[in-house]
Amino acid sequence: MRKSALVLVAILATALVAVGAAGAKTGKSQTTVLNGAGSTFVSPLVSLWTPAIGTAFDYTVQYSAVGSGGGIQAITNRSVDFGASDAPLTTDQFTACNGCVQIPWALAGTAIDYNIPGLVVPKNTNLLLTGDLIAKIYMGQITKWDDAAIKAVNPKATIPSVSITPVYRTGNSGTSYNFTDYLSSVSSEWSSKLGRGQSVAWPAGTGASGSAGVAGAVSNTAGAIGYTDTAFAIANHLHFASIQNAAGKFINPSIRNIVAAGGTISSVPANGELHIVNPSKSYPTAYPIATYTYIILPLKTSNAPALRKMVFWALTQGQASKYTAKLWFAPIPKVVLVASEKALQGISS
Amino acid sequence: MEASAPPEILPRTRRPLDRVGEKVFYGLTAFAALLTLAIIAAIIWKVIDGAWPAIHTFGISFVWNQTWNPVTEMFGARVFIIGTLVTSFGALLLATPISIAIGLFLSELAPSAIKGPIGALIQMLAAVPSVVIGLWGIFVLGPFMLQHVEPPLHDYLGWIPIFGGTPQQAGVLPAIAVLTIMIIPITSSICRELFTSVPRDVKEASIGLGATRWEMIRGVVFPYVKAGIVAAITLGLGRALGEAIAVTQVIGNSLRDFPVSLFGQGNTLASQLAGSYQSAPTNIELESLVYLGLILLVITFITNLTAQRIVHRFEKQHAGAR
Repeated sequence: MRKSALVLVAILATALVAVGAAGAKTGKSQTTVLNGAGSTFVSPLVSLWTPAIGTAFDYTVQYSAVGSGGGIQAITNRSVDFGASDAPLTTDQFTACNGCVQIPWALAGTAIDYNIPGLVVPKNTNLLLTGDLIAKIYMGQITKWDDAAIKAVNPKATIPSVSITPVYRTGNSGTSYNFTDYLSSVSSEWSSKLGRGQSVAWPAGTGASGSAGVAGAVSNTAGAIGYTDTAFAIANHLHFASIQNAAGKFINPSIRNIVAAGGTISSVPANGELHIVNPSKSYPTAYPIATYTYIILPLKTSNAPALRKMVFWALTQGQASKYTAKLWFAPIPKVVLVASEKALQGISS
Repeated sequence: MEASAPPEILPRTRRPLDRVGEKVFYGLTAFAALLTLAIIAAIIWKVIDGAWPAIHTFGISFVWNQTWNPVTEMFGARVFIIGTLVTSFGALLLATPISIAIGLFLSELAPSAIKGPIGALIQMLAAVPSVVIGLWGIFVLGPFMLQHVEPPLHDYLGWIPIFGGTPQQAGVLPAIAVLTIMIIPITSSICRELFTSVPRDVKEASIGLGATRWEMIRGVVFPYVKAGIVAAITLGLGRALGEAIAVTQVIGNSLRDFPVSLFGQGNTLASQLAGSYQSAPTNIELESLVYLGLILLVITFITNLTAQRIVHRFEKQHAGAR
């Protein structure tokens, strides 16, 4: 009995010493830690950037992918150094954030994934969909894949008679914002009944949490349709549709076509908010469901120099294809880059 | 080792230190008990405080208002309340007879060679994290129910509205099934303990009077443990009401009105909280989510109080019968 108590005390003492030593170790080093939270969409890119930023500046970036809404809350409470969101801040959120700036820092597309067993399409093509069809599917107005309206845009495909299960994101998400922003701009019915938002009152279908959840539900449910960022769709070997743009062309979410969509911006407004869904017909190769994603910074912060350096690095070297390409992000165009750099100069300590 | 030595004779006179020890012991135990009270009070206060703006905006009609629309910022709890009650009581309806059967089998009927292993396996089921059960629900149970359970229910019982709609993979029925699996370990192991607690002589006496096994169980065992079974069911119900992750993975998380058909998608208070809390973009949505938490708290209190009343009544009857 007494012996075991002694052993216990010894173990406790050793543990205490070890903890103390570890504490001393972290206390000694002088790395700047930059804490961020927000978008899950951009988080794979941030985690590729993190080691490179560590080598370049000796900064430690700690990013928690809690979702765009959570990121906005976190930066509003100043519990992190930066937030990240795929949806631009609303006027109320700007006011609540009390002196924040949102800077577009990455560009990517949202793929429309499907799982239709027995679908036969011509070689090297995908199912073709229009914005109007997607809106009707998600409003529960088209319920079978072999609906005449879907057949009409896919004359060369053999489509089985399978019920459609639309899959949406549970809770709030920037990807949902991008998707509903697109549907609102192509369907007046969607716009008036449901609108755009990080979460809407989905009139049909099944909810799944996170991009991974949507990808899982789509690959696991016969007849499902969903929306995820392109990298997720590819990583999960999902088929994704070619979407008709305003020019009438059916477009894949390839990097080239997302670059084309990003290039539709001719000037950046003062609040940094950019909409590139459903670009006009003068951009025949633009993929219609793409989005800029934003970093949100406080204008006054003690970490200003480090944050400026980090974001500048992300806007310039971070856009190199060795980081962006394999995650299906597109490099941001020059006009946005220049505006973002200018906005960055407003951050001071 | 030392315990096996004969006990020393207690000293006649007490040292003052012993009295202090007594006091400290009393203080520590009382503190632990009071701490739980303080924690419950703090939780209730914090939940009401956090939900206050939503309570102020939507009033009590929040409880029966169906809309949950983040775009127009109109929020109501009806679909979640119905979902919580339907899934929890549905699960209870399935789990109670199964748990009692398991308990009876393990305590009265099973040969001792398989008692141990089956008991241990059921206990292990209780240790499986809910997120794992939810994943299993997505990949195994959901597709299985879609192919083999829902179509026959629909074909033979489709005239009952709850089996009316089209069979689907995610929906209320898979959620009920997942919850049933999650509460069986708790309720069945308590039932087993209860049945073994029935004195042997009473059971043997009834057999001796010529009762069959079933008559013995019905006439002697059940009346003896009625109150305990209600308590066991309440524990299971508590788990079902509050389960968030596993339910959110299989129920389909719909914000539409709760479906009449069990094949349709629904939602529960806990699953909506788990799915949306971290990422709520507006304050009013966040506060409405806390309001949902408050409603869940109230539902839990009501069910617990009711169960305590029933237990109390059964105990009185039992005492009267003796």
